[in-house]
Amino acid sequence: MKKKKFIIGGIIILIGVILLAYIGFQAGATYYYEVGELLGKADTLYDKTVKVGGEVAPGVEQELGKPTHFTIIDITDGTTTLPVVYNGSLPYTFQVGRHVIVEGQYTQSGVFEAKSIMTKCPSKYEPAQ
Amino acid sequence: MAEFGYTVLILAFVASLFSIASSAAGARQKRTDLINAGRNSLLAVFILVTLAEVILLIGLVTHDFSIKYVAEYTSRALPVPYLISGLWAGNAGSLLFWAWLLSLCAAVFVLRKSSTTREIMPHASAVVMFVQMFFLIMLIFAMNPFATLPTPPADGRGLNPLLENPAMVIHPPLLLAGYVVFTIPFALAVAALMSRKLGDEWLNRARGWAVLAWLLLGIGNIIGAWWAYVELGWGGYWAWDPVENAGLMPWLVGTAFLHSITIQKRRGMFKRWSMMLIILSFTLTIFGTFLTRSNLLQSVHTFGENTLVPFFLALLLISFFGSLALLTYREKELQGKESTESFISKEGAFLLNNLFLLLSTLVIFIGTLFPAIAEALTGTQVEVGKSFFNMANLPIFMAIIVLAGVCVITSWHQLILKDFKRSVIIPAIVTLIIIIALLISGRREWSSVVSFAISGFVITATLYQWLKELLARRRAAADNPKSGTSLGFMWLNKNRYGAYLVHISIVLIAIGVIGSSVYSVEKEAVLSPGESISLNQYRVTYDKLNLAGSESRMIITADMSIYDGYKLIAKLTPQKFIDANFEQPVTEVAIRSTPVEDIYIALDNWDSTRKASFRVLVNPLVMWIWIGGGVFFIGGLICFWPQRTRLEEPQAGKTKRSPQETRPPGKPE
Repeated sequence: MKKKKFIIGGIIILIGVILLAYIGFQAGATYYYEVGELLGKADTLYDKTVKVGGEVAPGVEQELGKPTHFTIIDITDGTTTLPVVYNGSLPYTFQVGRHVIVEGQYTQSGVFEAKSIMTKCPSKYEPAQ
Repeated sequence: MAEFGYTVLILAFVASLFSIASSAAGARQKRTDLINAGRNSLLAVFILVTLAEVILLIGLVTHDFSIKYVAEYTSRALPVPYLISGLWAGNAGSLLFWAWLLSLCAAVFVLRKSSTTREIMPHASAVVMFVQMFFLIMLIFAMNPFATLPTPPADGRGLNPLLENPAMVIHPPLLLAGYVVFTIPFALAVAALMSRKLGDEWLNRARGWAVLAWLLLGIGNIIGAWWAYVELGWGGYWAWDPVENAGLMPWLVGTAFLHSITIQKRRGMFKRWSMMLIILSFTLTIFGTFLTRSNLLQSVHTFGENTLVPFFLALLLISFFGSLALLTYREKELQGKESTESFISKEGAFLLNNLFLLLSTLVIFIGTLFPAIAEALTGTQVEVGKSFFNMANLPIFMAIIVLAGVCVITSWHQLILKDFKRSVIIPAIVTLIIIIALLISGRREWSSVVSFAISGFVITATLYQWLKELLARRRAAADNPKSGTSLGFMWLNKNRYGAYLVHISIVLIAIGVIGSSVYSVEKEAVLSPGESISLNQYRVTYDKLNLAGSESRMIITADMSIYDGYKLIAKLTPQKFIDANFEQPVTEVAIRSTPVEDIYIALDNWDSTRKASFRVLVNPLVMWIWIGGGVFFIGGLICFWPQRTRLEEPQAGKTKRSPQETRPPGKPE
């Protein structure tokens, strides 16, 4: 009899947490795509926050205080490109040829609006080879 | 030198094998000579691994760049403290450091004489040496810290400048020590299972070690959070990064274990549960270091190689499933003498607390591993962000804090309503006052209002109970002039008052976390020299930019002035270091801290016209996290301090007492 109280209480708590976790998940999980993958799935992904990775192509329009316009190239095929616009301040390591991961949304205009940029650098503990 | 170091490791490995065999055989056949041989070879392992560690240290301090590890993590210009920290800066070094810490714990463990655990010592030391052996195998066969370079370079690469911070000297060793020390209570538990000595002997001895491990891990995590806050420049202190989670999970389960064994010692209940918890804690420590040293997950912390994966997997599987099997096998003999009478009691609160801690651990575990599982099963790459962990954990952590307050005012066996009502009135009034004050001042975010109210409740309830106990004792002592001081009384009840202090510290940390998470304000701005931005009531002016340093290391400093109205309240100097050897520049954040709030400025970027981009934040209440950390350390230390004498239970009012109550908290032998 006493055991039942514990079990029921435990189950209720468990359900509550699972529910919360599910909600948090929806809000917190972000998918990552290569440029080609993103363009392939473009119709389903408009205005969803995603991450895209690619190499910065030559021809970056950058001036401190103004939005930066640049293009990233798919690293798996070397040709597919994606125009990106970013409003914040660029990380110091951002440069042409660098592999970056942009997080933001792909808009109907065909431009990816980035909310954040991460430059992929070699592991912090291993020196750059 | 390096070859000698490697040979020493091989010798240590052989000695550990011998120790396992002797101890195991000696335990089985009850032969003292074999047991002694096992013990002595364990001490030999300690001496040998210490020797290896010293050799590496000498190599680091004397700039012996023929050793690959020394060349990779140090340079001639590096100050001595950072040369020493090279011992744990890289994968191989920190693995050796772990092996050394483990051999040290093992040596201290076997050298302390104890009559109650004499019979299970050989089993326990065999288990410890088994784990030790695994680490030595990894060092010898997969991650040799003494690997040499055919042509030693003139100068080493140097330490990643991101790590040049005093925290580098304390955070990794504390964390590593916390992990390692969990091995001892685990070994004692397994030894008790193997030898069927399933009374409280193993527990009394394990408790001290478990508190130490928990204390080190806790303070290590807090220092890590502090370091992230002042170093990484994003304004936060905990990113739910896989490696951060790896350090948090064993601590959560360790907390559950410490609470569970308190019940076991008092009421003889939850024996199997306690066993399960310490097995889980230890497994999570191994899992944690496995995550850090493998490529499984992306993190700012990982060493990112895969060579050690098979070894760690083997150790994980053997230790976890082996001990579980043992536990199931001995299950019948672990039945407790009593069972819970009522859920609404201290026991009930403790059980709920355990439940919530484990739920949180489960949530964190799933969130941490989800990307790896998703990629393995479906090929998609997904990242689980902070909001998942925050949203899922907030209610759980709040529930745990509520329980911390509730348990102080409930009774053992069953809640005595009269006592409860008396104890809860003042905290409830204070809580109401807090809620009203918050609402009046305009705060409408219900989650934070509730959280602050709960925090107020718990602190008040704990302090009030503490005061009641001291006053009751004063009254009792008034009749007996020999009974000593209040301080002395508290010192005799270290567990209780240490625990009160720890509970208060957790609430202080919670207050800091809530304040800075919910009410933090952030602005990004691009400014030319002379321009300013305002944030809340402050005006932040960018005065000028200074460039200094040399080719190999550039230092860019921005001079900022902070005004509150017309008063200049601070001058801050955020910086960026650019080291030629390392691509990623290092941000030195500038912070002005008061107990009310932090003003936090990070310099992001700049151009040739000296226009610069900044991130400015006002973070309320952050200081309380570090204050809470300090209180946590003191409280934990008090809990850890050995109790030497049998003592009387502190009474608060006329609480009914069961005949079995006055058992001593036990000596951590």
